[in-house]
Parts: sequence; structure tokens; C-alpha cells
Amino acid sequence: MVNRMSADRLRSLPLWTVPLALGVLVVFLPRFVSDFSVIRQVQLALILALLVSGLNLSLGYAGELALGQTAMYAGGAYAAGLLSRHGHTEILLQLLVAVAAALVIGVVSGVPGLRLGSWSLAMTSFFLVFLVGDVLAIFNSETGGRNGLSGIASPTLFGGMLAPNDYFALIAVVTLLWFVVMRNIVVSRHGNAFLVLKQSPVLAASMGISVFRMKLMAYALGAVPAGLAGVLFANLDLYVSPDQFTFSTATTILAASILGGSASVYGAVVGAFILQFGLNQSSDYQRYSLLVTGVFLLIGGVLLTGGLAGLARDLSRRFVLRPARTPAADGSAEIRIPPVPGRVLRVEGVSKAFGGNRALSDVDLLAHPGRITALIGPNGSGKTTLLNMVCGFYRTDSGAIRLDDRELHRLGPDRVARAGITRTFQTPNIPAGITVLEAVTAGRFTAHRATVLESALRLPRYRRLRREDVAEAERVLGAVGISNLRDSRADSLPLGQRRLLEVARCLIRDPAVLLLDEVASGLDEHEVERLAAVIRGVRDAGGTVLLVEHNFQLVLALADEIVALARGQVMAHGTPAEIENNPRVLSEYLGIDPDEQADGAAVLADLVTEAGGDR
Amino acid sequence: MTLIWGGLALGAVYAMVAVGYNIVYIASRTFNFAHAQLMMMGAFIAYSSLVSWDLPWVLALLLAGVVVGAIAAVEERLAIRPVRDTHNILVTTLGAATIMDGAAQLIWGSQPLRVPFVAGEDALSVLGGRVRPVELTLIGVAILLVLVLVLISRRSLIGLALLGMAEDREAAQLRGVNVRATAFGAFVVAGVLAGLLGVFVGPKTFAVATLGAALALKGFVALAIGGFGSMPGTLVGGLLVGLAEAYAARYLGGEYANLTVFVILIAVLLIRPAGLFVRAKERVV
Repeated sequence: MVNRMSADRLRSLPLWTVPLALGVLVVFLPRFVSDFSVIRQVQLALILALLVSGLNLSLGYAGELALGQTAMYAGGAYAAGLLSRHGHTEILLQLLVAVAAALVIGVVSGVPGLRLGSWSLAMTSFFLVFLVGDVLAIFNSETGGRNGLSGIASPTLFGGMLAPNDYFALIAVVTLLWFVVMRNIVVSRHGNAFLVLKQSPVLAASMGISVFRMKLMAYALGAVPAGLAGVLFANLDLYVSPDQFTFSTATTILAASILGGSASVYGAVVGAFILQFGLNQSSDYQRYSLLVTGVFLLIGGVLLTGGLAGLARDLSRRFVLRPARTPAADGSAEIRIPPVPGRVLRVEGVSKAFGGNRALSDVDLLAHPGRITALIGPNGSGKTTLLNMVCGFYRTDSGAIRLDDRELHRLGPDRVARAGITRTFQTPNIPAGITVLEAVTAGRFTAHRATVLESALRLPRYRRLRREDVAEAERVLGAVGISNLRDSRADSLPLGQRRLLEVARCLIRDPAVLLLDEVASGLDEHEVERLAAVIRGVRDAGGTVLLVEHNFQLVLALADEIVALARGQVMAHGTPAEIENNPRVLSEYLGIDPDEQADGAAVLADLVTEAGGDR
Repeated sequence: MTLIWGGLALGAVYAMVAVGYNIVYIASRTFNFAHAQLMMMGAFIAYSSLVSWDLPWVLALLLAGVVVGAIAAVEERLAIRPVRDTHNILVTTLGAATIMDGAAQLIWGSQPLRVPFVAGEDALSVLGGRVRPVELTLIGVAILLVLVLVLISRRSLIGLALLGMAEDREAAQLRGVNVRATAFGAFVVAGVLAGLLGVFVGPKTFAVATLGAALALKGFVALAIGGFGSMPGTLVGGLLVGLAEAYAARYLGGEYANLTVFVILIAVLLIRPAGLFVRAKERVV
């Protein structure tokens, strides 16, 4: 009975207390362990853990493989060594300067590499490692070139010398503090935004998140622990040389990251300790080190997608945590949409060609607040192209797209989104592994910003924003009638509820325009009705709704105004009654035109099946 | 002129690496980090055949092609095919590259090995500069390689199938292209090619376990300059990189050679991220 109670109490402790307690324990390790070689291995493992955690930020959270950690590490180590040689042995000063140096290296190499992403960043950052030796050789007189930098003085803290045990404690404390910061960044609005980015750059951009800035931030942030690690390493041996910052260092860091799980905070520590302890024990390690790390990378990349942290997460989900209940859908929930500040969307004379293929020519479209405007047309008529142009994914060849009087057609997708254009996707685009509430709050990331520092240190502004996030998310979930799902896993909801979730995610941004892309496809009659009620609610609340839809019946029932496209041109526009009886629309849809027989037939088939489904 | 010949020959090597990247890229939209390592293996095998076993040159060429092709086939099966998340392919092929580096170090040691060239070492005088036969051969082979590949891609069915796959895998599949087999085939062909070329590259660069990493980076710069997927682009990119490196080493000092190439890479990525020979494509949702 008592046991059970204490077990329950333990279970109610937040999860982060365990690693924190372990970390504090490591700080005092030299009191229990006197074996010098063990102490040294722990120190090196902690330094490696710092490096790995930096890589995890870019590889695991921003999804970009970057190998520049080694160069930033070298930057930090040499900054510390040179400072020390010039009489600045104060370790706090060294840490500060080294982080700055590492950040510069990170930003300078990250900006060009991230322009193209994936291979480009991997290669430019790899190249950076290749250059370490050359750069050191160029500044031979200062750095000692290939012979290394010796004569580093022992570090001091606030002017006092550090005994070996104190230095060990310093390494452990610095590492511990960094991991607290890292954990706070990952478990924050920023972490949430990283998940969105990982799910899909398109989604991130259409939520107003700048993909480039976000990735650069992750990569550059990874420089911070690398710089710290450099200082700690330089002051450990009081000697640094180019041989310590090579490709094999880079591959070791990567192997530890893959092994521990790149998308995790504590996996970095586990991976680092395994690599440091497991491999360095065999005397032949030096000869086989490349082979072994290579095999680790190969196997890790193929099998352990989540690394050891992913395995642990799966196991804990199965045995420790109670399975999350998915509450039954509450169909009767009332739909009350709070006021939506809709604005006028104008598409004026827009044309677009892909190579020789004219996708759109001279298209006009006007969507007013408080009205539902529908865009219809057979496959290939240019609906999706127009949608993507409004969202800023394509550039216009000519013509203009305006929101009230603001020009949108020159802006990139993230800026268009920040101007107030929100959208849903034909296949709902929802990050994996987060709750409905979190998925919706991610919509507020850019409009209501907290800095990384505020997130990392949990400053008051961050806490206030966080509270507002939750309150707002509850409000919009209530508005579309899915409050009861707030703690369910977002990506495992049925299609209809995922669509509603996407609408809620748009509403939380007080959308100027709500674009709905094929919002009814794949839904059953019930779900369509419910969604239609939500869409009407948004209109009645003053929203500007643009509906891109195949389902002709739904469009006729919902829209106040319809624009029909055919072969990239506006074929007709007017009220549903006018469109329904427009001879050109009928001929286009019924496939009388011999040139368009295939398309016409497809649409006719659609109409027939949908008409059947509706009755 | 001597300097130019040396730079062009080096550039030809980089172009060959970039061509290998391109073949794999066109066929499967993946980036084989380990391609330069395959070429390095070719150089080592040439060394063993010609120096240790004293085999005739043609046999060395054959052996390098077959063995490296087989290594490439194994790599495709282990490091590419089983990977579900395409993002991880960078990691797994880097793993394959590291394994080859490690194996080369174990088998052949870490000292640079001199690989003999079939046409001897006596430098010739061409256009007012001294040039070794191997250097002339490298330049010729690179140009020929690119010409042949351009012809294949424009004229033959397999070339068109590959281009179709690069454009749209699903569409190619629907047209009856066996996408998996073709991608595997292209990978192995790239491997065989890397082995054969390694025999020519070795005499210029020496066979050394760090060769792979250096070639991988410079080959990538050549590719970035020329643009992904463009064969003529790789040739121009490679030659530019080789010349820049040769000039920097001559006039600024050896430690500036890599730095210069890096600066070029950064400049290209900032100014023309799609490369010089590929039109920038718009993103599609």
C-alpha cells in the first residue's frame, strides 16, 4: 500500500527530474570514483555529449545533416587556447568568447549551405572540417600550425585556480546547464515549430514560419555547445592540435547522435557515453575506429530511425505510461465561431506559364469578407496553381494578388502567411507525435513571438505567451466543436477531425483569408455536413472564405459566389444559380467539347458518383 | 601553361567524381556520399594489381571495374535500398564512405602509394607547357565521358528512361520503366565507372586513404557549380575547380588551395544556388 502510494507519487513527478538528478550526481562523481582513467573518460564523454547535442538540434529537430560541429569545436578550442596564451585564463570569459567564435563559424557556413538544404549543407559543413588544418596553418605563428598549440595555462574561475576535481565539476556543471537550456528549447513553442518544419517545409511556410531562418537558427544554436566543448577540451589537456578536429571526429559525433537518437535531448548523452566507453576500451580501437563508426552509421541509419531514445520512448509508451484515451467524438457540440477579421482578396489579371505550358491566363477573382467564394473547374484547369500562387509558392508572370491594398504576389510563402492568408491542405498536414492542442498552438508561433533566450530560460514573457497559447487554442477548438479531443494525438485522428483541426489551426491566427483546398474529399456525408456548418460559421463571423472544391453539390449549397476555371481561364462567375445554368459550364462539365473529352468524362463520372453519394 | 595542364587534369578528376554523383542523382534522386571512395578503391586496386601482383594494365583495369562495381552493388543493397526515410541516405552512404576509408587504411596503410601509369611518366611539351601523359589522358577521358553520357541520355532508350525517372518516378513507372532495377543498374554502372576511372586517377593523385574525402568535396563543388543533373555542367565545374586550386596553390600557397575552392562554393551557392547550367525550378506543393 505504502509502496503503491510512493510509486504513484514518483510517477506524478515531471519526467525531467530524473535526468536532472543524474546530472547532479555526475557533478560529484570524483568523490565516489578515484580511478583516473574513468574520470577522464567521463570528462571526454561529457564533452562529446555537448557536441552531439549540437548536431541533434540541426539533424534531429531541423532535419538537416550538418557536420560542421567539429569546425565550431575547433574554433572554440583555439579561441580558448589563444586567450589563455595571452593571459586570459578566466574560464567564464573563455566560454563566452568561444561561443561567439563558434556562432560566427556556424552562421557563416550555414547561410550558403542552407540555401539549397540537405546535401549542400552536409557538404559545405563537411568542407569546413576539411579546412580546419589549412586555416590553422595559415595563421601558423599564432596557432602553431600542424604542430598544435601548446603552452596553454591552467584555467581560473573568478581569479582562483581550479583543482582537477573542481575542473571535473566545472565540465559537468557546464554540460548540465547546457542540457537544461537545450531541453527547454526543445520542449517549447520553438520545439513545436521545429516539429512543424520537420513534418513539411510547405506546412511551415504556410503557417508563417520562415523555413530558412528556422533551419539556420537550429544549425547556429548547435554552435553554442560546440564552442563550450572546445573550451572545456582545450583546458583539459592544455594542448590542442589540428589532429583532434578531423573527419573522424565529425563521423564519431554523427555516429553517437544516430545511436542515441538524433531527435532527442538525452539521447546525446547516452550515445556519447556508449561511443566513448564502449569503443575506447579495445586496444585495437585506433586501427578499427573508422570501420566501426562507419558500421554504426550504416546500421544506425537503416535500423534505428529514432535511435536508442526512440526505442526507450516506444517501450515507455507501452509499459509505463497509461495509454491515452481517445474520447468519442462529440457530434452534438455546438459551433460558435468568434469574430474573424476577414479582408478582401483580389486576384487581378494573373497569368502563369510553366515552360511552354500556360497554366493560367488573365485570371480575375474577388473574395469578400463575410462571403464564401468557391473556385471550381475540371482537373488541370489551374485551381491548384492559383491556390499556390495566392499562397506565394509560385511567382506570378503578370498580374497582381492583393489583400485589401497590400501586394502579396512579390512575397515568399511565409510572408504571405504572416500577412494573413491561411490554408488547409487536401491531405491534412499535421506534425507527427503531438497533441491536438499543441498542433493548434503552433499556429501562433510567428504572430506572437518569444525569443529563443526567453524560451530557454522560461522568462516571464514566454510563460505569459504560453498561457495565452493554451487559452486561444481551447477557444478555437471549442469554436469548431472538437474541444473534447484536445489531448489526443493529432495525427491519429480520423480524416474529418483532422480537417477540423486544420481549420482551427487557421482560425487561431485570426485569418484575413481562409483557403480550403478540397476540403470535402474523402469525407462521409455526416462529416461533410459538420464541416459545412463550420465553414458557414466562419463566413457569418466575418471571415473571407475561398473554397477550392471538386464536389459540385457542396459548392452549390455553400458558396455565395462561384468562379469556374477551364484551361487556365475564368469560364464563368456568378451566383450558384447562375453557374448551375451556365451553358459553358455545363458543356465543359458534361464533356461535349471534343477537345476536352477525357476531362469532361472524368468530371461527369465524379458528378454521378457524388450525386449518388449525396442521396 | 604547365600550371594550366596540371589544373585541368585535377579538374578532370573532379569532373569524373561529379559525373558519378550525377548518374546516381538522375537515376534515383539520391546523393551517394561514398562515390569518391569508390574511385579511391579503384586507385588502390590499380596499385595492388600493377605493383604488388605485377599484372598487365588491361587486367588491372578490368579488375578495378569489376571489384568496385561489386562494392557499389553491395552498397546499394545495404545502404540505400533498405532505408525508408530518404533523409537517412546521406547518413548511410556516409557510413559506407567511412567504412571504405577505414578498410583502405587497414589494407593499404595510411602512406600515399604511387600508382604507375601505362604510358609512362615522361613529361611531354604541349602548347608551351610540360604535361605528363596521365594528365593529358585524364582531360581526354573526362571530356569523352561527358560526351558519351550526353549522347546516351539524348539518344538511347535507357537514357530517356533515366531522365524520365528523374522528372517523375511514378510517371516513369506507369510507362513501364522498372524504376528499382534501373536505379540499381545505374548505381552499379556508376560504381564500375568509378573503378575504371580510379585506375587513371591514381597515378595523378597517389592512392591514399584520405583521397576519398578530398575528392568527394571537390567533386561536390564541381557539381554545385555545374548544377545537379547537368553533365556538361560537371565538366565545366570540375575544370574550374581544378584550375582555381592549381592557381591558388601556386600564387597564394598550398594551404590556400582548399580555402579558395571553398570560397568559390560559397559564392556559387549564394549567387546561383541551382548551378550555372540548370534553370532554377519553382517549388511545387
